[in-house]
Amino acid sequence: MQRRAFRAMGTEIELFVDTASGDTALVEAEAEFHRLESLLSRFRDTSELSRLNRDGEIDGSPDLVQVTELALQARERTGGRFDPTVHEALVGAGYDRSFELLPAEGGESRAARCGGTVTVCGHHIELEPGFKLDLGGIGKGYAAEQAATVLAAAGPCLVNAGGDVAVRAGAWPVGVQTSTGTLTLELSSGALATSGRDRRRWRRDGRELHHLIDPATGTSADGDLLRVTVVGNDAIEAEIWAKALFLAGAGAAEAEANALGLPCVIVATDGRTTTAGGLQ
Amino acid sequence: MTSHVGRLYALAIAILVFFLTWTAVAARPWATTAQADPRLTALAAREQRVRTESAAVSRIVHQRWAVYQRQLKSRQVQIAAANRAQVLAAAAPSVRVVTLPPLTITRTS
Repeated sequence: MQRRAFRAMGTEIELFVDTASGDTALVEAEAEFHRLESLLSRFRDTSELSRLNRDGEIDGSPDLVQVTELALQARERTGGRFDPTVHEALVGAGYDRSFELLPAEGGESRAARCGGTVTVCGHHIELEPGFKLDLGGIGKGYAAEQAATVLAAAGPCLVNAGGDVAVRAGAWPVGVQTSTGTLTLELSSGALATSGRDRRRWRRDGRELHHLIDPATGTSADGDLLRVTVVGNDAIEAEIWAKALFLAGAGAAEAEANALGLPCVIVATDGRTTTAGGLQ
Repeated sequence: MTSHVGRLYALAIAILVFFLTWTAVAARPWATTAQADPRLTALAAREQRVRTESAAVSRIVHQRWAVYQRQLKSRQVQIAAANRAQVLAAAAPSVRVVTLPPLTITRTS
């Protein structure tokens, strides 16, 4: 078993590959993360995403186009709970720079309208004036999948991109934090992702804010959930539904996970931990 | 003719005839009546026609190239989506709760 850890996309990345000769694949998988970060980061002025947000349109790379299309499809499927046009709401809430540089306390915050129109025609992406894209979460899921595909050439593998976990072959015990400890899920295919308000938090106007924006209000989501972990076919799917179920709230999240057959672990703010979607 | 007036008339008429002849010669009437070479005329017309056709063909090629590029990009995106769908279909998630110590932990990203 070989392991490689590094920082990219504002989080810790871990790569595991179950072979003794995975050095090259590990290096290539790390390079894939850095390559995608250089395209999809909203904090890098030179990234394609920053250029799109600045100019309002771009002839994007296949990666940017695909992630944008996946995000727009996710908006449709989640009834708008997952929305890539929350950029201005994130900035309005104070998340206007890489999280490591974000002051814990600050002045005013403001809500911002979400749900902007994004047009994708071939490789051309165009934004409705006044809206910008944030592809942070889904970008990490996409990168985890791309890196897992690279690593899989060397052997069974697991990629953990700050909570977005993708595996290929093998059986991988992955810990999920609950209110009382850690629940271990053995994942042999697919992926899982966690969304919650327990990290990436800061204060503005004396009010605690976090990175999960509710597109309906244009500010950090209020609700009775602390964290949701979802198992999906891939890390993108898991990431999308983790956020969508988090915004749904405890009761609705459990019902929706059962209806959709999405295995998940739901941790409420009152400490209750529930499994749903067929997860035993 | 011995009349002085008659000689003046004769001189005036001679000068007039001289200038009229000068004007006629200076106008080179034979040059305007010369016919252009019909082969050169035909060649010039053909060149003009070829230039026009070339511009039209170039415009059509550019239009078709732009359409092809758009369709190619669109097709590439469709192929990528189809590939992804195929991978997903082949890799339905498999998960169960176990009592093993975890290799790694998922937390809020």
